[in-house]
Amino acid sequence: MIKRGSKGKKNIIILSSIVFLSFVLMTINIRTTAGSLFLEKAVAWVVAPIQSGFTNTVNAISGMFRHYFFLVGVAKENEHLKQNIDSLKKRNVELAEQILWQDRVVGLIEYKEQSNNKAILASVIGRDATQWSKEIFINKGTQQGVGERMAVVTDAGVVGHVVQALATSSKVLLISDSRSAVDALFQETRVFGVVAGTGQSFCDMKYVPVSAKVEIGDRVLSSGLGGIFPKGLVVGTVTQVKKKKQGLFQEIMVTPKADLARLEEVLVLLP
Amino acid sequence: MLPFILFLFSLIVFSAQSAFIGLFSFNGVTPDLILILAVYCGINFQGNGGVGMGCALGLAQDCLSGGVLGINTLSKGLIGFFFSALKNKIMVDGVIPICFFLMLSSFFDVLVFYTVWSLLLKGESSGVYLFPDFLIYAGYNAFAGPLLFFIFNRGKKWIMLKFPNQALRPL
Repeated sequence: MIKRGSKGKKNIIILSSIVFLSFVLMTINIRTTAGSLFLEKAVAWVVAPIQSGFTNTVNAISGMFRHYFFLVGVAKENEHLKQNIDSLKKRNVELAEQILWQDRVVGLIEYKEQSNNKAILASVIGRDATQWSKEIFINKGTQQGVGERMAVVTDAGVVGHVVQALATSSKVLLISDSRSAVDALFQETRVFGVVAGTGQSFCDMKYVPVSAKVEIGDRVLSSGLGGIFPKGLVVGTVTQVKKKKQGLFQEIMVTPKADLARLEEVLVLLP
Repeated sequence: MLPFILFLFSLIVFSAQSAFIGLFSFNGVTPDLILILAVYCGINFQGNGGVGMGCALGLAQDCLSGGVLGINTLSKGLIGFFFSALKNKIMVDGVIPICFFLMLSSFFDVLVFYTVWSLLLKGESSGVYLFPDFLIYAGYNAFAGPLLFFIFNRGKKWIMLKFPNQALRPL
């Protein structure tokens, strides 16, 4: 009886400790507005190299499989080159992967050269560890000049902004995250609004008056007012418009122009 | 030695979770390897080791995600606690019990997340978007659970063979 009582007490102490620890963390997190906590940086610092290794291995294996099957036909046609085929295959795989990489990067480089902004090319090395927030990890950090609150884009459009910069990697909050908000305007009508993430693949354009003329397909650009994204970057296009009978604002769904689910390389815009 | 092996193993699980688990996403939803590991630790660690592991895994997951720090610490810590406290009273062997308890843990995880999210970030985010996905999330965790439990059991067997007298329950 006494044993059961002391066990119950122990359980209550453990339970209280878990709840207390969690609430202390939440409180510290909410009160810390500038940058990220040391703990977050430390964990990211430990995990980033292994994460990077995993991503490279997976990319290498998937690339090898993809191109091996592609090259099977070529191997059959070149029977007389059997002796050299293994080395050629390997070489072809490497080259094909390089071409694919170049195809992806050329767009980014053209965009970088055309725009007035200085930018750094970065590869995506990981994604958010939970289901509910939308973030990516990139392989460039403070050593390469990346800092917090820097815009991250592709040649298609805005991707997000850096929320945590470590020495050799950074964490990027995507515009589809429910905590993201980008000050934006419609290209045609120049009406302002805020593109807010929803946690899903699309965003909401908020605070657009009912009187404003908005049509499906309208292009949404960054307004430059938020202090992070330069003016004129493509954010997305309008895919749904709802006007309520009662209410001041329209309900507008915006689909990001950049394919946020398949990001491999991105540009970090330097201030 | 056990803490070092666990640390290394957790690092691999975290890297897998954030680097390539997206390849197996279904309708944009991926299984939560950390949740499965927390449940496993809760069941298989002696004493209150599962609680500590649950909290540590949750805290690391918080650090590697964009959410509010502490949410996963709370949910994974509580999951570790529940399984730690109930491990002698419940049977988590075989595919169906593992699926059932993982589904239950997933619902609990979403519930904690939604509650904290709506209480702390009232006005900023409704959290309603969680609901269309949470059934898939729970189902996916339950589906992936038995396979991961099998892998963890193999690892545990190896640890117990190489380093006997560790804080793990015998298989």
